[in-house]
Amino acid sequence: MGDGNNTSGRGIAANNTTSSSNSEKPEWLQQYNLLGKIGEGTYGLVFLARIKSQTNRGKCIAIKKFKQSKDGDGVSPTAIREIMLLREITHENVVKLVNVHINHADMSLYLAFDYAEYDLYEIIRHHRDKVNHAINQYTVKSLLWQLLNGLNYLHSNWIIHRDLKPSNILVMGDGDEQGVVKIADFGLARIYQAPLKPLSENGVVVTIWYRAPELLLGAKHYTSAVDMWAVGCIFAELLTLKPLFQGAEAKSTPNPFQLDQLDKIFKILGHPTLEKWPTLGNLPHWQSDSQHIQGHKYDNAGLHSVVHLSLKSHAFDLLSKMLEYDPRKRITAAQALEHEYFRIEPLPGRNALVPSQPGEKIVNYPTRPVDQNTDFEGTTSIQQSQPVSSGNAVAGNMGGAHAGRNGSVNRPMPAPMQRMPQGMMAYNFPAQAGVAGGMNPGGIPMQRNIAAQAHQQQQLRRKDPGMNMPGYPPQQKSRRL
Amino acid sequence: MADFQTSTHRAKWIFTPQELVEKYKAANQRAIQTLEKYGTTQMEVDADGSLSYPEPIARDNADKHSRAKPLNIEEEQFMRVFYENKLREVCSAFYFPNKIQATALIYFKRFYLQWSVMEHHPKHIMLTCVYAACKIEENHVSAEELGKGISQDHQMILNYEMIVYQSLEFDLIVYAPYRSVEGFVNDMEEFCGAKDEQNQILKDLQETARIEVDKIMLTDAPHLFPPGQLALAALRCANEMHRVLDFERYLRSILTRQNSEHTISQLIESLNAIDTWVRKYKFPTEKDMKHINRKLKSCWGHSSHDDKKREKKRHKSNKSSNEIPNGPSIG
Repeated sequence: MGDGNNTSGRGIAANNTTSSSNSEKPEWLQQYNLLGKIGEGTYGLVFLARIKSQTNRGKCIAIKKFKQSKDGDGVSPTAIREIMLLREITHENVVKLVNVHINHADMSLYLAFDYAEYDLYEIIRHHRDKVNHAINQYTVKSLLWQLLNGLNYLHSNWIIHRDLKPSNILVMGDGDEQGVVKIADFGLARIYQAPLKPLSENGVVVTIWYRAPELLLGAKHYTSAVDMWAVGCIFAELLTLKPLFQGAEAKSTPNPFQLDQLDKIFKILGHPTLEKWPTLGNLPHWQSDSQHIQGHKYDNAGLHSVVHLSLKSHAFDLLSKMLEYDPRKRITAAQALEHEYFRIEPLPGRNALVPSQPGEKIVNYPTRPVDQNTDFEGTTSIQQSQPVSSGNAVAGNMGGAHAGRNGSVNRPMPAPMQRMPQGMMAYNFPAQAGVAGGMNPGGIPMQRNIAAQAHQQQQLRRKDPGMNMPGYPPQQKSRRL
Repeated sequence: MADFQTSTHRAKWIFTPQELVEKYKAANQRAIQTLEKYGTTQMEVDADGSLSYPEPIARDNADKHSRAKPLNIEEEQFMRVFYENKLREVCSAFYFPNKIQATALIYFKRFYLQWSVMEHHPKHIMLTCVYAACKIEENHVSAEELGKGISQDHQMILNYEMIVYQSLEFDLIVYAPYRSVEGFVNDMEEFCGAKDEQNQILKDLQETARIEVDKIMLTDAPHLFPPGQLALAALRCANEMHRVLDFERYLRSILTRQNSEHTISQLIESLNAIDTWVRKYKFPTEKDMKHINRKLKSCWGHSSHDDKKREKKRHKSNKSSNEIPNGPSIG
């Protein structure tokens, strides 16, 4: 970790000499071509950059720059916590920290991640606002399965994410990991054993829409079940393209009681009862009942109609188990992965973006908008001006990109696929025959990749300057990634 | 807690005794070379947390500096031991939980695998490690508060913070044996089929073991053995006092249940080695420390005049960093 020669603390002196001059880029930044800003949040900014060096040339990297924390508070605790967790974990469905860079001038930290082109927020938004049709079942199921797979890994390593929401669930673009889900943003993640403070004490604002009812009712202790509630909300949102519980946030006091959010939940899931949730009575906000939530009367549960699922469907069964009020009864990530929903067709796959049905339309998701006007703290000139979306299509990178793709054709299935229920392969066979022309010479895994290649070619074509997606705004308001 | 088996602690920070000796030697040698070249060993830390090597000495001073005597490896060890104890005192003074003390101690130990005490003053590093451990364990204490509580300049802590993280290679999740002791005692309850009166004995055993762990943590053993083995060594010692169970039989039962690759003789050998580290532990006498401090001063080329100059310079740089709240960005 760290800049090669800086890792052990040696060579810092050399680094210092470069940082003494304000007009020059720091040494570490010179290994990248900076393309522009792709995100902004309370923690700081995210930039997109491309690697210059021979190995990995042209590979895209997301650089997260943390703001310096309060004056006199030293290195950002959020940054340090995110690094410390990411140093200990490696999983296909968790974002990969490639490097940590230090800017001594203002003691800020820069985290370099493998770049992911899409995220669930954008994918959902695109379906809702642009294509006007639901995300296909295969994609929903594959996204959900991989999200659970990553989460199961985190939970079995005693890590709670605490801030799962669509914009933190990334999906890889073109390349050998196309359509693979990556859980990101560990700034709020905690190890179980660490003393868990209320979110307000960290001075962090997080979206309340994905917050579990026990937290809304003032539970002091987080468990991994809070992440499963968020997954339930995300699952519903993937199905309907709308946030399931879209409460208006109360912002009066530092950690206000979120009445409207609970109201939205109760309206859909019905009133919680001590019978179904025995420890409910111990939760501070329920106990004090200052806003008379105990007395509210709600109509019967209507979750199935909100998400347009049959009461008897496996999807509904799984969803309702994720949205179980009692955190102790809520389904765990490990249990969810074993759910019948994932054993029936369409079976989940590694490339979530490639539909399994031959007739199914391939959706071209918009690439992440890059703001080329924001420079890297005013000291860097941004050299590249072509849009990032031209990614692999940049001349001179073609060879490498294609080699990578061809190489991936016969790649053995990655670990998560081995966990997939038996029978998936058989199902995909006819499904992709249409794409691949009915031939299956090299074993099943290749099938999806052929489809992937077709998809990629489409994407490359789409990215041709002459064929830009019409009507999609090139810039948009930055949001928390 | 995340899993020790897949941790950076296990993968990167457990060494063989030879590797450990090499590391201490390398840091010591480097500092000695610096001393020969520049007449001083101490790295300068600026307010922005960056480091620079000392300026080459002026000719007229060369004679004086050539008499500077570097610390040898044993003296470096004494210096670390002295400040590890100081670190504990600081943590107790603030009533920090045990976990923070243990984390800070491991940070301190790891830092001096990369550096010689001649290069960075252990007093500053000790305080910075306590500060960092508080941050990591979410028991946030401001640097100012920490500095005030022990009448030390808190800017020093902030200056060193990044260098400490960097020297730890950002591997900040560490495993102390205290939790392992708890885990084993819980396991022993089942192993013994403990009844009520035995529970008290097990509690006493745990308390004694905790004190044993405290001793182990001040030796080099944490660099050489996983926390589980350190805990077992402590428990074995405690058991010799309380005679709660047949320890070897207990060890055998663990190995069987964990399907361990270790043999019982390997495990016992490790525990014996840990005991030896505790027995060999030496705390420097006042006289030792006086001698070492004098040597160190000569290494740092300190005269009272130099100290004043340094002080002035540092305050100046603080001021300039305050004037531009976010620093001059990347440069």
